[in-house]
This record gives sequence, structure tokens and C-alpha cells, in this order.
Amino acid sequence: MNIMVNGNPQDFKGTPTLGQLLKELDIVPERVAVMVNDRIIPKAGRSEFGLNEGDRIEVLTFIGGG
Amino acid sequence: MPGMLPSNLDPTPWLPLTESATSTDVSRALHATQPGEAEFATLLAPAAGAQLEALAIRASELTRRHFGQTLTLYIPLYLSDYCSGGCVYCGFAADRPQSRRRLERDEMMREMDAIKAMGFEEVLLLTGERTPQADLDYLRDAVGEAARRFSAVTIEAFPMAAEEYRMLADAGAIGVTIYQETYEPVQYEQMHRWGPKRDYENRLGAPARVLEGGMRTVGMGTLLGLSDPRFDSLCLYRHAMQLRRRYWQSGVSLSFPRVCPQEGGYSPPFPVDDRTLAQIIFAFRICMPDVPLVLSTREAPGFRDGMAGVGINKMSIASRTTVGGYQVPAESPDGQFHVNDDRDIETFCAMLKGKGLEPVFKNWDKVYR
Amino acid sequence: MKKFILGGKEFESRLIMGTGKFSSVEVMLEAIKASGAELVTVALRRFNRERPSDDLLGPLARLGITLVPNTSGARNAAEAVRAAQLGRELSGSPFVKVEIHPNPHHLMPDPIETYEACRELAKDGFIVLPYMPADPVLAKRLEDVGCAAVMPLGSAIGTGHGLSTAEMVKLIIADSGIPVIVDAGLRAPSEAAAAMEMGCSAVLVNSAIAAAGNPSAMAAAFAAAVKAGYAAREAGLMSRCDHAVATSPLTSFLTGA
Repeated sequence: MNIMVNGNPQDFKGTPTLGQLLKELDIVPERVAVMVNDRIIPKAGRSEFGLNEGDRIEVLTFIGGG
Repeated sequence: MPGMLPSNLDPTPWLPLTESATSTDVSRALHATQPGEAEFATLLAPAAGAQLEALAIRASELTRRHFGQTLTLYIPLYLSDYCSGGCVYCGFAADRPQSRRRLERDEMMREMDAIKAMGFEEVLLLTGERTPQADLDYLRDAVGEAARRFSAVTIEAFPMAAEEYRMLADAGAIGVTIYQETYEPVQYEQMHRWGPKRDYENRLGAPARVLEGGMRTVGMGTLLGLSDPRFDSLCLYRHAMQLRRRYWQSGVSLSFPRVCPQEGGYSPPFPVDDRTLAQIIFAFRICMPDVPLVLSTREAPGFRDGMAGVGINKMSIASRTTVGGYQVPAESPDGQFHVNDDRDIETFCAMLKGKGLEPVFKNWDKVYR
Repeated sequence: MKKFILGGKEFESRLIMGTGKFSSVEVMLEAIKASGAELVTVALRRFNRERPSDDLLGPLARLGITLVPNTSGARNAAEAVRAAQLGRELSGSPFVKVEIHPNPHHLMPDPIETYEACRELAKDGFIVLPYMPADPVLAKRLEDVGCAAVMPLGSAIGTGHGLSTAEMVKLIIADSGIPVIVDAGLRAPSEAAAAMEMGCSAVLVNSAIAAAGNPSAMAAAFAAAVKAGYAAREAGLMSRCDHAVATSPLTSFLTGA
């Protein structure tokens, strides 16, 4: 299944949930904010959140800023 | 039960300064870049009274900076002396024996035409407390008539709801004057023996409702003589500052009516002498440099001439405090208060010109309304 | 020093620190500790697998400070609102620094988009801290829509031109019913002290610390300056003009003068 992650197309086996996808990318779920198709998915809802072909995912972290 | 002075107006933390401030404190307060309650209280202290000339110099600098060499003139028009109030100090109190009247529409129009012919462009319309004879509808009609003639119409009547103020603003009024008389709740209760004006809190909330209702300016003040003038002035300062912050697109102006001790009938419990009144006005000017400060014809010519441009930047002149009285003199000469400055406009303007001050009749046009 | 109350929460420190432009996370953490700051700003960016060390959430969380996510990168109100929501989701903090500066050359804040974003975010329960031009009217408009403070710029971001907007900041302070925090442009601790003497409730400093020769020493210097400036303000500054008065030409009309 093809999904856009931070602007890059990536292939995933089967139909992963958002939680599974983050795990596959080695991302600590508590350290990121996630949007799927411009919708914010809270930490609690990610493990059951089903993904579809062509979904656009943004994974964001805090960096230094003024 | 007396009303309650809300904590946001309570002057208690600063009151001691009005006694204890030193001459060094006064020098500092005089030139503070951002004066606040402490500076204001300091300028009310005896130590500041001992440096009255320094206060006057600073006040006159600031008056000139913000208002230039001008003095704005307005005139009051009493529409009605019906009143439901029992204010012990007032010539219109409901228990005074005089006959009552109000201007009917044709009289109103003639009075306004007479005032206009004198050259005035700002008129203050007055009534007493709310009565069937002088209620909101009556006032609204009067505002409508005045707005057709004058560039600035303001009102001094009874406390209203914000929606009522909005109706008057829509009818053409740009400002409302409403004095708290005194912020001291116990004294307030004793002064207002009966009637709707006994409601201290309702009156206290009126200036905010004026601005909520869309008026451009609210005129505030205390009736000096009713209570400790330092207490009342600090409350007034706090009240005015807070309204300015909250209704920042509107203006506040302050007046300094004083119960003149020499008047027959009523002796105020806290008489305020000329030096003290001047000191209070200077303190307001120094701490609120851009706020219009107003002095009426309650004051005598000598005092008014001395204060013109030195703190005060707006005055009434040629005033009658009877109902009407401009077109034809009133039958009874007794008005709401005694006019101590009975000069005509020409004499008064000549005095201003002699002091290098330009009389301003029209400051404002409602072109965009 | 009186507690600094912002958005209903109490703080000891009146120095807010930004976390950008440091040479390393370690240097930044040392500087924050030296500054005593309890509020620090952070930015949101796409997760980068190649640079996992960029992630500041863990290290900052261990310091026990309050995070203020900013909306940098947003070019309009809608993007800023989205950034703020993401920041809140990630930090759990209700604070947000709204910054919308669409012009990359000078990074001046867009007053119109900033106003719109603040209105939305305040309605949504955020503690909104807008980075804004030093404009007294805009400051009141932002207060009216529910901002917890206003943060006028001292000078353009990162320029180190100090308090070039001093006269405007004074006008903002005189009328403001909410804390005024000078944000951006400060270079030297003396400028932070001057802002506090003027009546600011706090200052926000980033580049001046991050780009200093010794960031943590500079952070401590800023902390001392902010304290000194605040204490001076509380103590009451001497007046500048203090001329003597000889005669009584203005008050001779008063009886007994």
C-alpha cells in the first residue's frame, strides 16, 4: 500500500494501522504529533487508526525555535 | 444597607501616601514617565500642596503639549427639573418646593436655536433622575433635535442600561456625563435620601455601560465637598484609568464640580478650598495628561481664569442652570446650582485671548456617522 | 521579586528563552539551566529519521519547564492555527507563541494574519502569546480577543538592534491590561534591563544567548539583568527633570498662595 510520509511516497505491506506504521518507521509515538490528510490524530487514537491507499501522513517533532 | 466599593477601585493601599509623601516623592512623581496610583496619591499630599507652583508648571506644560493653546467651550441646557431624587445638596431635589417644568418640543427648539445663535457647537442636555415627564423617549427626542443643530451633543441625566445609551447614541449623542458624586458608600447613602439614586452600584456601573452602549466619551467626576476629596479623587483616578484600558477606543473626560461653601442652603461636610481644588486638578493633569479636564461656571471668574490652560482645557460659559433660560430668561432665577461666573461669551473669550488661548467651539464633526 | 502571572499560571522567572540556533542540544540545555527560565519556546518540524537528536521533547521534559510551542513556518492564520493545535497535542501545554512572518527577508510579523490566528486560538482555550509589531492599537485589539500577553518586537528577529521600538513599547505598556513581553531583537543584557525598567512584565531572548561566545554565561547575565531591571522598576526610578521653582506666577490667583 502506498502512503505519503512527510512528502515522500513509501510502500507498506498489507494495511497497517497508524500505530503499526509509526513502529515500522522506528518512531517513538509519544515524541511526535501526527496528521493524516490534514487531520490531527491524537496519541490515544493512533493504534486503531486504519490507513488507506494514498493517505498523506505528516509526522512532526519539536526542534529548537525562538 | 450602603453599597460596596469594589476592590478594583479601592484606594486603601495608596491613601497613606496622600499624608506621608515627602517633597522628594513629589519631585519624582512630577516627572514620572509612567505615573500610576502611587504618583497620583503623592501629588495629593500636603507636601505637594506646599509645591503648588511646581505642580502648576508641570500641569500647564502637559496641557499645552496635548491640547495646544486652546480651550474648548460648551454650554449646558437644562431640559427639565422634574426629579425623583432626594439628593441633599441639589437644588432640584424632589422635596424642594419650587414648581417644576420641562421644555416642550417647540420651546426646546427655540432654546437650541438661541444657543446656536450664540455660537456654541457643543451642548450638554440635562435632566434629573428618571421621571414620567423626563424619561428616555423625551430625552431621545431632545437629542434628535439637538443633533440637527450642533456638532456635539452630550447628555447628563439618569443612569441607564447599555441598550438605552445605545438608543441615545443612535439618535446622535456622542457622550454622557455621569458623576458618582462620592465613591464613599456610607457618605453616598446619607447624601441620597431616597429615589433611584440611592442605588450606589447602579450608578457606579453607568460609565462602563455608557461606553458599552457605543458613546464616544464618558464624563466622570465626584461632587467635591461630600466626602474626603483625596479618597474620592483616588477612586475616580482608578475608575477612569480602568475604563480607558477596557474601552480603549473611547474617551474619558473629568469634571471637578464642587459644592461651594458660600452657597445658601447646604454646607458640605468636607469643604474643598481653592488651593486644594487646584491641587487635585493638577494631579489629574499630571497623571492623565491627555484627558480633557472640565470646569463649569460653578467656579468664580478668578479661579477659572487662573486654571484656564493650566490643567483645565474645557469650560462652559454663559450658562443657565434653570430649565431653558436662553431664549427668554427663566421666571425663577434659582437653578440647580448657583452660577458664579456669569460673564457673557465675548467677555470670556476676550479673557482667553488675553492669556494667549484660542477658544474652540467645534472640535469634531460627525461626517462619517 | 513578585511572581510573574501569565495565563493564570505563576512563574518565578521573567526571562523566557528561545531554543533555536544553539550549536548543540547540550549547550542549549546548559544555557536554559543558567537562565533560570521556566518557559521556553520550541518549533515544530517534520520528523527527520537521519537526525533523531534534533528532537527536543525528551531533554526539555526532563528539565521540568513549560513548553511554549511556536507557529514558525506558518504563513497565514489557518496554518498557524494548525501548527498550534499540533504543538498542543505534542507538548500537552496550553501555551502558544503565535508568530506569522511571511517575508523571509526581515521576518516582520503579519499583523492581520496574527490577529485572526489569535482570535481563533483564544476561543479554542489556548494561552495565546502573539509575537507582534510594536503597534499600540494592534496590542489592544489582541487583548480584546483574549490574548494572555502581547509580545512586541524590540527590533527585527536576530538583528540585535535592541529596543529600537522603545517609544511604541512604552505606549503599549501604558494602555495594556495584560503583560507586555519584549520579544526579538535584544542583544545585550542592558537592553533587557531597560525593557523591564520601562515596565515590561518579561522578556523573551534567543539569539543573544545562542550566538554568544559563552551561551550559558550569557544566559546567566540576562537573568541577572532582568531581575535588576524589574527590581529597579518596583523601586521607583528617580525623575529625570528636577528643576527648582522660584516664583509663583501660575498660582498667584489662589488665595493664600
